Amino acid sequence: MAGADADANGTRTPESGALQRIFGSRRTRLAALLAPSGGLLVALLLAPLSFMVALSFARIGDAYEIIWEPSAANYAALFDGTPFWTTPFFQSLTLSIGVAAATTLVCLVTAFPVAYALARRERGRRIVLFLVLLPFFTMYLVRVYSWYLLFGEGGVLNDLAALLGVGPVGAFDFGIPAIVVGLAHAQFPYMLLTLYAGIDAVDFELVEAARDLGASRVAVFRDVLWPLTLPNVVAGSLFVFVPAFGAFVAPQFLSGSTVLMVGQLIAGRVESYNIASASAAATFVVVLVAVAFGVAVRYARLGASAGGEQ
Amino acid sequence: MTTHDDTASGARDGAGRGTVNRRSFLAAAGAAATTTALAGCIGGGSDTPTLNVITWEHYARDDVVEAVESAVDVNLEITKSTSSADMFSGWQSGQDEQYDIAVPNNNYVPRFAEAGLVEPAPLDDLDNYPNIYEKFQEFTDGQLSVDGTPYGVPIRFGFYGYGYDSRDVPEHEESWSVLFEGVDGVDLNGKVALYDNHFKAMTAAALHLGYNDAFEGDRITLSESQLEKVKSVLVDQKQSLLSSYIAGDASFVKGIKKGDFHVGHSGRMNLTNMWIDGNDWVEMATPKEGSMSWFEAAVVSKQTDHSDLAWEVIDEYIAPESGATLAREGHAPSVNPQTSEHLSERRNELYGSIDPSRLDGMIPFKAVENEDAWRSVWEEVKTA
Repeated sequence: MAGADADANGTRTPESGALQRIFGSRRTRLAALLAPSGGLLVALLLAPLSFMVALSFARIGDAYEIIWEPSAANYAALFDGTPFWTTPFFQSLTLSIGVAAATTLVCLVTAFPVAYALARRERGRRIVLFLVLLPFFTMYLVRVYSWYLLFGEGGVLNDLAALLGVGPVGAFDFGIPAIVVGLAHAQFPYMLLTLYAGIDAVDFELVEAARDLGASRVAVFRDVLWPLTLPNVVAGSLFVFVPAFGAFVAPQFLSGSTVLMVGQLIAGRVESYNIASASAAATFVVVLVAVAFGVAVRYARLGASAGGEQ
Repeated sequence: MTTHDDTASGARDGAGRGTVNRRSFLAAAGAAATTTALAGCIGGGSDTPTLNVITWEHYARDDVVEAVESAVDVNLEITKSTSSADMFSGWQSGQDEQYDIAVPNNNYVPRFAEAGLVEPAPLDDLDNYPNIYEKFQEFTDGQLSVDGTPYGVPIRFGFYGYGYDSRDVPEHEESWSVLFEGVDGVDLNGKVALYDNHFKAMTAAALHLGYNDAFEGDRITLSESQLEKVKSVLVDQKQSLLSSYIAGDASFVKGIKKGDFHVGHSGRMNLTNMWIDGNDWVEMATPKEGSMSWFEAAVVSKQTDHSDLAWEVIDEYIAPESGATLAREGHAPSVNPQTSEHLSERRNELYGSIDPSRLDGMIPFKAVENEDAWRSVWEEVKTA
């Protein structure tokens, strides 16, 4: 039988032939391997995302029922104010961008020297990495709660300040500085590990060559190290920025709920079953993050290739 | 010792390596399954029906469940919930077939009734209903009724006011203005907490502004200009007196103990819990402008197969003894004053015995006209 595989007796069966045809080519084998993860992605990411987008065009009735009458009213309502930048959504969006940017900057500035040291010195590397990863073994909520105990008028930091005779310090109160500290602590390992991977792969002969040719340390960092690690800087920044942008647990605890970041705004609308409006806000945020992600990746590629040409 | 050793060796396989072979495993599993099935059959022989109830945590406490189960021949399966909105949306999505009874807050009963989820309450058949405070019988005829038909039965209740640290804040006239303007001669800048909830915070501000008329009808109705004024008061308060918006009762207790604030919006149950824990320095104020109050009301699903039994269970929740047990577990008073006879003097002092005149100042939670506008104002306050 042409095209059929052989069974135990050396005879080819139609089933084994069909299987061989399906898995015969490299492309179909690849498709078969990717099918389970692809299916999971569709079921767990694309399907809920599609439902969220669809819901953002619906409205919720008095008895909490979903009324499928497509309209862009929920999107219009996000910016329905005079002027539009006074609307809670716009305000919370800009606050979130500011807080996420500050968190990313804090993580980048603090993680880069540590990542550099880890890449250059083998001694103590494992211990430092273990200490950096240690918070991962603790629940995020517990970590945020520990910061909650430290901050605030009656928090540990202000108690210490009082002992030192400097009285209550405003910076130790609940508010945006506390949120940035809490988020930076939570996201720091992502930045560090991403930077470490990038710096560890750098050919340090290039650095030494630049120094031999008279480049200052600053010039070496600016013209050699930074371009070579830029893709990792961008990747690390995304790992920090995106979760910080959508955070709602840390802002809730560490601001005493006195600020409203976009994650809190969406969560609040979901809690009050205003899910169509929450979906519109969430969809807007997803699109915004996706666009920012695309721009960042493209910029990193351009930056890396520009660095490579130098 | 011998028996233990024998059993241990019996579990070992022939090779004596401490593992169980397939045959002995199957035999043991079969024996266990048979035993379980027999136990199930024996248990299944009982005629005691099971009712499924979705309600608040205190109703699931063993003492409460045992008190009701022993008074009414029933098995109770309690599902704990923390939100009336969740109870309602769950029943809307089909859980009305899963549960026989729900105990939402009073303001949700009309929603359940209007959505056709619950059956009318046979008040005349409930032995304990005539004994509840007259005020709650009025509420049943009003807020718990739709087109003159009652759908829910009140069970427990509580007030909202504010708590304060008496070591930092002296005695003063009890008024909502304390949360928004402070107390004369006391520096309360950054020392006041409000609930992080649009309904609770905005009703407090509205009562402070003297908008009591807005609370008269079936719904709380604030005009656009009144909403603007409420927003303005809340924004001013945020920029001067506010320490934090608190998520719930636990946040109040943590915050006031930690010293983050000296005055905080609070329910009486919260303060009672603190007093029971020995925190005598915290005081409860009942504002002269009136107190928002909640009461739980039980409803029975239209889909239940045990309607009569479900109403018997609800009647038991307001019976003197079982009601007292429930009050004791939750530190919240029952709507039946006879429960105080089954509580100690201390517990009656804390929460069990309520002077009926106190109930006159009660403004029950009710639905809000134009809720979207309220939420929008609250978001504007939070982003201000």
